Amino acid sequence: MTPFLLKIVTPDGVQFEGKAEELIVRTTQGDLGILAGHINCVAPLGMGMATVVMDGQKRYGACIGGMVSVVGGAVKLVPTTFEWADQIDTARAAASEQRAQEILRNQSSSQTELRLAEARLKRALVRKSVAKYQ
Amino acid sequence: MAGISTKEIKNRIRSMESTRQITKAMEMVASSKLRKAQGQVLASRPYFETLYATINEIVDVTKDFSSPYLTGRPVKKTAFVVIAGDRGLAGGYNSNVLKLAMGQLEGKDAVVLPIGKKAVDYFQYHKVPLLTAAYAEAEEMSLGDCFSVAKQLSKQFLKGELDEIYVVYTNFVSVLSQTPSSLRLLPLLRQTTGKEGTKQSDMVYEPDSATVFEAIVPEYVGGVIYGALCESRASEQAARRTAMDSATSNAEEMIDNLSLQFNRARQAAITQEITEIVAGS
Repeated sequence: MTPFLLKIVTPDGVQFEGKAEELIVRTTQGDLGILAGHINCVAPLGMGMATVVMDGQKRYGACIGGMVSVVGGAVKLVPTTFEWADQIDTARAAASEQRAQEILRNQSSSQTELRLAEARLKRALVRKSVAKYQ
Repeated sequence: MAGISTKEIKNRIRSMESTRQITKAMEMVASSKLRKAQGQVLASRPYFETLYATINEIVDVTKDFSSPYLTGRPVKKTAFVVIAGDRGLAGGYNSNVLKLAMGQLEGKDAVVLPIGKKAVDYFQYHKVPLLTAAYAEAEEMSLGDCFSVAKQLSKQFLKGELDEIYVVYTNFVSVLSQTPSSLRLLPLLRQTTGKEGTKQSDMVYEPDSATVFEAIVPEYVGGVIYGALCESRASEQAARRTAMDSATSNAEEMIDNLSLQFNRARQAAITQEITEIVAGS
């Protein structure tokens, strides 16, 4: 398949820069697949798994927040956090999940606490599910 | 200065030595913090640049100006996010950035969101209205905090409570040079570079432009604030290191002068004693 230029940058640094053949990311509207020659487009990202195909090999990553843009054939993925499946700290994700669930079960938690816990739980679940693919 | 007794000089040398020790220690602390902060700047810079470039590309290419983020309006209220340090003794670092911010505030109906203890204190002292004084710890601020600041600012911008948002920070040029600068966050105006018409490709928004901008702009603002914060933190440590380095060398110079004086005074005392003994015999 024809490759295109893909760049993945997060606040922690450049995670990937090079040629890829296909990118699938979870946007707020659902999964979006990008191949070479895609029309210019922007979409905000949700929380979910990102799949990058390069040299026929699939690589998976947990991709949370941010945006994806295609301008002039170059694809830029600018998430808030991005971890390749083999970089995910599963112990931390599990601990985070547990803490979030405690807050959610706690009757006296405030609205903001609940909202933060919910987001934390979602992130933890995404990380855990992506970590299985390595 | 032959009048000063050797004891007095000795005391002064001792006190200078302890000052030198303190400044030397502070320099070393700043150096190690600088190394960490520099790594952070280098890691966050590509993100900062990509985000900035991508948003500008989108703004350049877009034909749809329905989003309030993209349209300038008569400015009534301006918000400034001012990033300074938590502590002093960093040379001109705090005063430079605060002076720049004060200059920009002049003549505007402005509110300030200070980050860092020095910025909070400064604007409280000058009775400038603050949005919040909750971010008095620049060093402790995380990416999540930046995003919540951005969310709050974007919300107020959409409601029309704020018409312009700037960030004032210190740009980390190199270890020896840091420049205070300011950057407009909102509104996002098209940069008229004359290449209009050449970039007439259509942009597909998923699901539509209003939703996309509503979701992306707070992210962008948060990312830029985080980038500015990283730059400022590295600048602070670099400025402190330079200031403490020169303080240490000043202390050393003073100690050298004082020891010279001390030796002279001692020699003078000995000579005098000998003269007295010789004269007496």
